[in-house]
Amino acid sequence: MGNPAICAHQLRKHYGDTQALKGVSVDIAPGQICALLGQNGAGKTTFIHCALGLIPASSGTIEVLGEGAGSLAAKKRIGVMLQDTDLPDLLTPREHIERFACYYDNPQPTDALIVDSGIAAFAEQRYKTLSGGQKRRVQFAVALVGQPDVLFLDEPTTGLDQEARQDVWRNIRRLADSGTTVILTTHYLEEADALADRIVVIHDGQVIADDAASTIRSQVGGSMIACHTRLDNKQLEALPGVRSVSLSGRIAQLLSEDAPASLLALLLADPDLTDLTVTKPSLNEAFVALTEA
Amino acid sequence: MNVTWKTLGSDTGAELLQAMRAPEFYIPTLALPTAFYFLFGIMMSRGGAQAAQYLLASFGVFAVMGPSLFGFGANVSSEREKGWLMLTQAAPVSGLSYVLSKLLTTVIFSAAALLPIYILAGFVGGVEMARGQWLTLFACHLLAVAPFSFIGLAIGFSFASGGAIAVCNIAFLGLAVLGGLWFPISLFPGVLQTVALGLPSYHLAELCLWATGATGDREPFTLLLIIIAMTGGLAALALAAWSRQR
Repeated sequence: MGNPAICAHQLRKHYGDTQALKGVSVDIAPGQICALLGQNGAGKTTFIHCALGLIPASSGTIEVLGEGAGSLAAKKRIGVMLQDTDLPDLLTPREHIERFACYYDNPQPTDALIVDSGIAAFAEQRYKTLSGGQKRRVQFAVALVGQPDVLFLDEPTTGLDQEARQDVWRNIRRLADSGTTVILTTHYLEEADALADRIVVIHDGQVIADDAASTIRSQVGGSMIACHTRLDNKQLEALPGVRSVSLSGRIAQLLSEDAPASLLALLLADPDLTDLTVTKPSLNEAFVALTEA
Repeated sequence: MNVTWKTLGSDTGAELLQAMRAPEFYIPTLALPTAFYFLFGIMMSRGGAQAAQYLLASFGVFAVMGPSLFGFGANVSSEREKGWLMLTQAAPVSGLSYVLSKLLTTVIFSAAALLPIYILAGFVGGVEMARGQWLTLFACHLLAVAPFSFIGLAIGFSFASGGAIAVCNIAFLGLAVLGGLWFPISLFPGVLQTVALGLPSYHLAELCLWATGATGDREPFTLLLIIIAMTGGLAALALAAWSRQR
């Protein structure tokens, strides 16, 4: 312990002219759940791949548990679940786990892992025959074989139905409770919110916010109010609770951290307004708000 | 690098299990060479000890080509596409264990493909050799795993899985026919004879012919050197294909 789970300094990665990471610096302390939140293509997966040593960084440094990213010493202490990855079709979950167990110095006993991961019912079936949710659970179990200090989960719930997602969340919480550091990427605000102690928001290859989950939530949370109004920009910005305003013609979009207060004042200021809708801001709108803040 | 007997054993065991559960792999690679040898080498052979030695030597090389090319080409390509290769790179195990475990599996399957051919050759094919010659021939045949596996590996790293199988088939037939495994290259026109000299299949068949004690001028050490040089070149090609896709 002592060493940060991840320590990245001015990490850059470019593919030709495309800048995937534009100088990311992050320190992730051990023992927390940290969510890397961002849209598809924001650079989350590139960051994870650099941390795992799968691709070399163009410049900057990244260490995992005080070891070089991708070094054997680091690999032995981490568990990995990658995005869009399948295990070989013709082996059973038990065989996959037993194969990985040979790679580590102190693997978990296979039977206990199978029971704990909730895969006992299909542990002897060929991987090919499993459902998407079952496959993901097997991949999760494989990531845990080496009793990792740090667990990397790249989009762990993408493509899963609600039930399977809840299941993965439960497993992640259980691990974090036992002291494992979990680093996960997601493009679901609600997922980061439900799981993480800390949220690092990545947008266009840069960290645009990095704080406790509760702080980020209050920054990107709130409500989106849209309406057709005769009020101008200045009047709208003056309304209570309104954090940002975008006005195009007479259509206004307000990001509010206190929707009831904003709405009350808005309706009083412009009794003739029409086409009123109140929605949760999408991640995209939340990011626009964050980058403009 | 973390290649230990433990990781190698674990990976090889997993590879063997998968191969034994894939009839679309083992039926053609094990049965096809034996069937071909039976048809062309025994039923249609016009006899003579020299012809029998040539047929055993060349069809043996042909038998090793199947598991080597397809086991590496098709499997590596699909494992790469599925992200499995990337997951193994993130795991504390060396890429060497990945390749070596597949090589060992290929050697075992090649041996299994050779065995029925040897039995046919010895009992009904009219091949008579001393025990030492059989063993030398076996070693020479298994040597063929190395160059062909690197060709398969290069294909697997370069093509998507559907394309990889097609390219493997082309390589399979090309190396067999042009390398003189089905007809001796002395029957070829001059240009094709020159092509054969550039193929590992030809030199391997020549080495195996030497092992059977066939008449003719063959320098086993020169052949071995050529094969080693070609294998080295193919290994470099496979390594280049590997690092290019990363």
